[in-house]
Amino acid sequence: MDKNKKQPASCGYKEGAFPSCAPLAVPYVAAQSGATPQYEPGKALVRGTLFPGLDLPLANIVNGDKTETPLLRVMALDFASHDLALYLDTHPQDQEAFEVYKELLALSEQAQREYAREYGPIDRRDLLEAKRYTWLEGPWPWEPGANGEV
Amino acid sequence: MFVYQKTLQYPVRIKKPNATLAKIIISQYGGPDGELGASLRYLSQRFAMPWEELKGVLTDIGTEELGHLEMIGALVHQLTRNLTPEEVKAQGFDAYFTDHTLGIYPQSAGGTPWNAAGIGVKGDVIADLTEDMSAEQKARVTYDNILRLSDDPDVNDVIRFLREREVVHFQRFGEALRLATDRLDHSNVYYMNPAYPIG
Repeated sequence: MDKNKKQPASCGYKEGAFPSCAPLAVPYVAAQSGATPQYEPGKALVRGTLFPGLDLPLANIVNGDKTETPLLRVMALDFASHDLALYLDTHPQDQEAFEVYKELLALSEQAQREYAREYGPIDRRDLLEAKRYTWLEGPWPWEPGANGEV
Repeated sequence: MFVYQKTLQYPVRIKKPNATLAKIIISQYGGPDGELGASLRYLSQRFAMPWEELKGVLTDIGTEELGHLEMIGALVHQLTRNLTPEEVKAQGFDAYFTDHTLGIYPQSAGGTPWNAAGIGVKGDVIADLTEDMSAEQKARVTYDNILRLSDDPDVNDVIRFLREREVVHFQRFGEALRLATDRLDHSNVYYMNPAYPIG
């Protein structure tokens, strides 16, 4: 799988390239040829993937957009950078995707710190800016109300 | 090591408790193709893997599966909150309730406790990555089936997210296997096991 090879003109973003010849008796999945197009982070979260090419829902029924809350913004940026990280794990030479990844990481970091200042820590480092030990304050993530009104 | 992040990966907010649904969804907590098995399968397979991409994919997907385990736990917890004994009986949750009250226990929809026999760690690159691709497919089908059985929009919203993650993970394991195959002798990809290249 040569990362420098561009997608053949005949392949759309829902398809990937195969080598002309491949060994027998081993599974071959068409490799994603590039990290574009991408959904914006909010849409990536509700669709469950950053990549429209991999968005393959049952009976084409998809989740509707969600109202953006400060927590949802944190989740969306964290998710978008995570999904791009999985892509980079199998495409480590894709420098263009890595630059986008760094941008998403920076936005994600900033959104988390802003959230933590207002609502409480998401990870332990957020406590650096806390006035007291707020780690224990609920609701915890699995509790009703932790993720918005129920 | 692992560090806890105090959010779910995707929001779970269930308005209406429904123990009948909780009883089937718990299969993705501790059933044969559930998230506990997924995380342990990938995080355990890592140790014998040659090549950095394979270690990376298994680490990062295995870690994500722990987050999915937490989401399924949240779903079951919210679906069963504040149930009265009458509701427990009426919604067919009595057998579970007898053993676990409203605690979250890793078991299948049929009541079988989580079992490591449901995961494979063969110590062979092609065998393990092929198992992982198969595991993602089976988890996707389980989520398909939950979507067929559930008419709660709050539940389905979460299940659709988790189902799509299985599709993405299948793609990454497929790419990981190709990266591995590309490094093997194409005239005989089974010449040796690159995770144990002896004999």
